[in-house]
Amino acid sequence: MTDLTLAALLPALESRFGPDVKVLPSRKEVLGVVQVKVDRLVEVARFLHDQGTFTHCALVSGVDWIEHIEVLYHLWSDALKGYLEITVETAPEDPHVPSVTSIWRGANWHERETWDMLGVRFDGHPDLRRVLMPEGYRFHPLRKSFELHEPEELEVKARHV
Amino acid sequence: MNATNTSGTARIITHVKETDPMEPEVPFAEVEAVQSKEYIPVIKETLTGMIQRGLDAATKPVFNWAGRNSLFPLHWGLACCAIEFAAGFGARWDGERFGVVPRSSPRQCDLLIVNGTVTWKLSHKLITLWEQMPEPKWAIAMGNCATGGGPFRTAYSVVPGVNKLIPVDVYIAGCPPRPEAMLDGILRLERLIRERRA
Repeated sequence: MTDLTLAALLPALESRFGPDVKVLPSRKEVLGVVQVKVDRLVEVARFLHDQGTFTHCALVSGVDWIEHIEVLYHLWSDALKGYLEITVETAPEDPHVPSVTSIWRGANWHERETWDMLGVRFDGHPDLRRVLMPEGYRFHPLRKSFELHEPEELEVKARHV
Repeated sequence: MNATNTSGTARIITHVKETDPMEPEVPFAEVEAVQSKEYIPVIKETLTGMIQRGLDAATKPVFNWAGRNSLFPLHWGLACCAIEFAAGFGARWDGERFGVVPRSSPRQCDLLIVNGTVTWKLSHKLITLWEQMPEPKWAIAMGNCATGGGPFRTAYSVVPGVNKLIPVDVYIAGCPPRPEAMLDGILRLERLIRERRA
C-alpha cells in the first residue's frame, strides 16, 4: 500500500476503524485532531506509522479534565510536513493506556514523564520509572487534585516515603 | 552473682545487687581491676589524654588560623548563582586573595557553597557530597533559593531551604547575590571560625 496523502488520511482512518476513531475539529497548527478509543490506540498508531508516514512521535503529554484524563500524542510526518494530534481518554482513578514504545522508541521518556506528572500507567512500557521527581515521591503534581502544600508539610510527606 | 575472679581479668557484673544504704558502694569491676594490676593501662590512658589535651590546646589556634585562611569550597554550580560564584573567583573579584580556592573533589574541601535551587531529586546527591567532605566543614547557602526556596518555595519539586538537608552556617541573600556579597559571606564565615561560633 502506498503512503497516504493528506486528503486521504482522515477518511482512511474513519473507514478503517469506524466508530473507534472520531475526527475532531482541527486547528491551523495541526493537520487534524483524532480521538481514539483506548483499546484501538496501538492499532491506530501502527497504521499511522506504517501507512500514514508519521514516523516521528514528537510529544506525549496529558491533560487532567477531572472527569477524565486525556493523553495527547503529537505525530510528525516528514512527507506531509505537519503534525497529527491523537487524543485518548481514560478514567481518572487508576488510568491505564497501552504504550506506543513498540512503534516509536522515542515515546519512552515522554510516557515516563506523563506517568510522573499525571500518574497514567502505560501498559507494555519497558521501564516505567519517574523522570523528574525522585523515586518514592508520592504525588503526581500535574493532577488537579494535587494541592500546593505548605513547604514544611510537603517536605515531611516527601521525605517519609 | 559470682564475684570471684578466676581468669585474672576484670569481669563486668551484669546483675543488679540489692544495696545496703549503710554500706559504701564499690563496683566489683573496679576492685577486680586493681587486684589484677589493670590500673597500668588506665594510668597510661589518662596520661595520654592529658598530653593530647595539652597538644590540642597548643595547636588549636594554629589550625584555626590555617583553616579559616584557606577555606576550600567545592567547585559545583546549580543555577544562576553559580555564574556569580564563577565570577567571584575570576580575575575581577579574585576570591583567591582570601585563600579561597574552589576544589573539584569533596574530599579536598571544607566549605560547601550551595549556589542555586535544590530540588528533591538533587537532595540525595547534595547530602552525599556533604558527607564525603572531611571534618571540620562549613556550609554557606548562597542566594534566595538555597536560603529558603526563593520564588519556588511552594513548588512541588523544590527543597524550601537547604537547611532542611545540611547544617548551614552563613546565609547570603540576593537573587542572585553579587560576587561582593558572596565574598562578604565567606569573610563572615572566617570571622565566625575565628571566634569558634561556627
